[in-house]
Amino acid sequence: MAVQSVQPSEGPELVQLLTPEGERVEHPDYSIELTEDEYRGLYRDLVLVRRIDTEATALQRQGELGLWASLLGQEAAQVGAGRALVDRDFAFPTYREHGVAYCKGVDPVTLLGLFRGVNQGGWNPHDKGFQLYTIVIGSQTLHATGYAMGLQRDGADGAVMAFFGDGASSQGDVNEAFVWSSVFQAPVVFFCQNNQWAISEPLERQSRIPLYERAKGFGFPGVRVDGNDVLAVLAVSRAALERAREGSGPTLIEAYTYRMGPHTTSDDPTRYRLAAELETWKLKDPIERMKAYLSRTGMADHDFFDAVDTAADELAAHIRAGCLALDDPQPLTLFDNVYAGGSSLLDEEREQLAAYLGSFEGAH
Amino acid sequence: MSGTTLTLGKALNEGLRKALENDPKVLIMGEDVGRLGGVFRVTDGLQKDFGEDRVIDTPLAESGIVGTAVGLSIRGFRPVCEIQFDGFVFPAFDQIVSQVAKMHYRSAGNVKMPITIRIPFGGGIGAVEHHSESPESYFCHTPGLKVVACSNPVDAYWMIQQAIESDDPIVFFEPKRRYWDKAEVDPSAGAPRSLWNAEVVRPGSEVTLLTYGPSVKTCLEAAAAAETEGRDIEVVDLRSLSPIDWETVIASVRKTQHAIVVSEAPVYASLAAEVAARVSEKCFYELESPVLRVCGFSTPYPTSRIEEDYLPDLDRILDAVDRSLAF
Amino acid sequence: MPTFKDFKLPDLGEGLTEGEILKWLVSPGDEVKLNQPIVEVETAKAAVEIPSPYAGLVTTLHHGEGDTVDVGSPIITFDVDPGGAATDGGVAAPAQTNVAAAADMVPQIPHEPGLVGGPAPKAATEEKIEVLVGSGPKSGKLTRRPRKQVAGAVVASVQRAPSPAPQPARVSAAAVGAHAEQVVGEVHVLAKPPVRKLARDLGVDLRLLTGTGPQGTITRADVEAASNGAAAEPAVVAAPSRTIDFDPATREQRIPIKGVRKQMAAAMVASAYSAPHVTIFTTVDVTATMDFVDRLKANREFADVRISPLLVVAKALLLAVRRNPLVNSTWDDAAQEIVVKDYVNLGIAAATPRGLLVPNIKSADSLSLLELARELNQLVATARDGKTPPADMSGGTITITNVGVFGMDNGTPIINPGESAILCFGAVRDMPWVHEGELAVRKVTQLSLSFDHRIVDGQLGSQFLADIAALLNDPALFAAWA
Repeated sequence: MAVQSVQPSEGPELVQLLTPEGERVEHPDYSIELTEDEYRGLYRDLVLVRRIDTEATALQRQGELGLWASLLGQEAAQVGAGRALVDRDFAFPTYREHGVAYCKGVDPVTLLGLFRGVNQGGWNPHDKGFQLYTIVIGSQTLHATGYAMGLQRDGADGAVMAFFGDGASSQGDVNEAFVWSSVFQAPVVFFCQNNQWAISEPLERQSRIPLYERAKGFGFPGVRVDGNDVLAVLAVSRAALERAREGSGPTLIEAYTYRMGPHTTSDDPTRYRLAAELETWKLKDPIERMKAYLSRTGMADHDFFDAVDTAADELAAHIRAGCLALDDPQPLTLFDNVYAGGSSLLDEEREQLAAYLGSFEGAH
Repeated sequence: MSGTTLTLGKALNEGLRKALENDPKVLIMGEDVGRLGGVFRVTDGLQKDFGEDRVIDTPLAESGIVGTAVGLSIRGFRPVCEIQFDGFVFPAFDQIVSQVAKMHYRSAGNVKMPITIRIPFGGGIGAVEHHSESPESYFCHTPGLKVVACSNPVDAYWMIQQAIESDDPIVFFEPKRRYWDKAEVDPSAGAPRSLWNAEVVRPGSEVTLLTYGPSVKTCLEAAAAAETEGRDIEVVDLRSLSPIDWETVIASVRKTQHAIVVSEAPVYASLAAEVAARVSEKCFYELESPVLRVCGFSTPYPTSRIEEDYLPDLDRILDAVDRSLAF
Repeated sequence: MPTFKDFKLPDLGEGLTEGEILKWLVSPGDEVKLNQPIVEVETAKAAVEIPSPYAGLVTTLHHGEGDTVDVGSPIITFDVDPGGAATDGGVAAPAQTNVAAAADMVPQIPHEPGLVGGPAPKAATEEKIEVLVGSGPKSGKLTRRPRKQVAGAVVASVQRAPSPAPQPARVSAAAVGAHAEQVVGEVHVLAKPPVRKLARDLGVDLRLLTGTGPQGTITRADVEAASNGAAAEPAVVAAPSRTIDFDPATREQRIPIKGVRKQMAAAMVASAYSAPHVTIFTTVDVTATMDFVDRLKANREFADVRISPLLVVAKALLLAVRRNPLVNSTWDDAAQEIVVKDYVNLGIAAATPRGLLVPNIKSADSLSLLELARELNQLVATARDGKTPPADMSGGTITITNVGVFGMDNGTPIINPGESAILCFGAVRDMPWVHEGELAVRKVTQLSLSFDHRIVDGQLGSQFLADIAALLNDPALFAAWA
């Protein structure tokens, strides 16, 4: 029996700067001023991020990926947060932050290895300040907190953003991260994408109160933002990161959004939620409202939108080609990198496997 | 500088001090390690000399201790975590085996975890529940971790420094019942051996006892008692539990042709079982008897008034020696 | 020119091994764009829409709606270059996919679906494992992958092989390095536990042996050989150890009484001290028998068996038993009866590595000469290998012992317990003999017969032995008496 998620009433506190219809509104605590290029740039980001996601989903349906965790509907939350981060900031994602990866400059093709089963993380976290995906729910929030404590000790001017979902907020590790970050005033922003669902479990199974209010219990501020409003998310994220950088400690941002797709390509949401709910959220689409805003204000025209679509097509082709080119690893690489200092036991096992494999017809 | 007589706990303290002095990236973190100096005083005086930023009193959250250590490592630090007692490592178990152990592997070597996790372990101290465990087998069973156990003050002093210097994550077991054992430690002598070597702590010819941690002393006492009966027993301190120095182990067993593994941990599916299996395989032609194991029974650790019947002691070890030689 | 590409039904990440084509969304001849939905496939009551992996023309649909298709088999073929000429598009041409309507990418699921996908609709009887992550379980192998044929190669691990002391073993780097051995004056003995036990049972000191097994390991055979020497000829010789390992302190060696030796001793005592033994002797000119043996050896029919004089002696004995059945009997003291047997289980005394054994050939009297020859070969070989089954060791009715192989002429054999006679057969020698009234060099042997005087008296014994002698002297009698 499908369960309805909590429907946002007209008035939950949501920082919003752009309505679903594409109109700019003001908020007493948050504002944003961008150039026209920057507005157009955000739109482009949203479209490209969605395209990464749809292409990867198609690739999964075509058997090229074993699995994909779709971010459909959450583009604005991720682009808003991702574009608030600067180079010296470090992001700790879950397994769905393809949009943040994109903003941090991680090649989307490198995200695919994990889902294709050819590696467990295809990029070097140190290159772009973007950690590998973490599949154990919530663990990365502690890693983010530790990294932030390291920044403190280095006296470095950077901040950390820890991404997690509504479901993760129940995990012990996330709560321990709240304790640690508050007690040590660590420069970390906790960015929770509340997409209303943890696989089939709705928000009310994770919390009796709005998630952003939990921060108060741990002693730091929490704010809920319209997760489908890229401008609001950007504004709130920038403010929270600034707070962290100046030494004022953590902030909890609850980006209120919706998981339009399934939990992963192996999930079937029609088992537990109603189509009507999807329809409601379609009306709040993050890209549509930006497009409307750009059109209405004359900041963009058909040529611009077409050019973005073309760029999206090219990106999709790049992803497709890159995916198909991801080869299976050689069997003996099984033994690589278990230890920084090597292992004679593993050397022995590797020799054994090599000899064994070499004993078959067709082996060289 | 010549040697000083130190307890094992104090030797650890001195070793930690050296590590903090040698590398500004070394941090010590754990519950009560700072102002109190640790419940066993192993970190005594360190916060005073190195500051709160480097010797950190953490919240009461073991998963948090290890999880933040992961983040600190990514940032380039070298965290030394203390888990206050063996039985309390389990809240951190997921961070240790799912995150710390796998990070280097899954990142293709891009992200190192130079973390040392210190754990006082073992029983025989008359404690209440969860304070006398021997969980080393779980960590030996986890690829990506290295596991060591010191048995005496000299090893404690050098091994803790070597563990901290290693770029691999190391679970460092300290035999709490031996914290007050004393020996002469000479810091100027240099580390006598690699962290990964086993040591023949008592040469013999008839039987090899393979052991580690708190049981080393028990084995030495057993061997001394056996000598009065005309038995010549060799004792090997494994020191490194994962990886094990098979070279030393096999050489010893080939010589004596009898092997017995001694450890406190429950025998079923223990590290002792791995040692027995591998020694049996490698020394099949030389063994005169099967490899025996003298370990804790397959029960939860018992209440303290009966723990002496649970723990391998001198008599049980020598009983096993008798059985081994009678095959 | 057209370039055809098949699209195979993928494993949609749900442990799928087959799927049902629910609805085709395209037809042959249609032009399709990359990622355009082409088909709905049903997996466990959830329909999944599959987007086209290619841009091009639909050439063939391989299955109809309602068909169940295996994962990995083609469902549709495209011509990805229908124009024929090289366009700047080709396969790589970015297709015009629908960007904005991303919601269309959410799978349309008209039926009541399964949560995690799973087995095809026929799953009423099938059991599949549902998975939430990843591509699901793969089916296991059903046949072995063929190995390379390399002469003498040991396919396998570089597991250490044992080495004889005091060489350092060839071990993998991990186990024992170049500086492995701390032998400290102790000799390594390399033998498997069962061999060690055998050695202990037989009183063999492993340290004195050189192993003949791989890498110098001491084998079971080595131990048995050391215990009693190897058997070479039929019923022959475990060369007894000529060296005694005296303890310099006591100038004695103590050999444990166990195993075969113990059994043999018990049997000897039982027999010797219950049956009154009488032994009679005769000397026979067996030149004709030796000729017969030669002719048998050259006979094609006997090509695959070893022929020896023992074969002919055995045959002679069997024939003699038929003429003198009482010698083939048992003194049953408990029942106070003599049990005469109509079958001959012929025992052959064999000196084996384990000691003296007397395996018997069951119903030897019913065997042809060729069959008997084969049985003898088998018996001897088995006894030499120490593999005589227990069944062969019991139930004997009469025995032959061959002392000729030791170079002896005759003896006073002890009857096998439970029997009443034993024939001892000596060496065949060239001897001066009176043959047809003239001095000649003939092949001569001696036969001795011990018998149980409770059952067999001197006359019967002599008659029996004389029959054997007669047959050996003139094998033509085999035909006469058959």
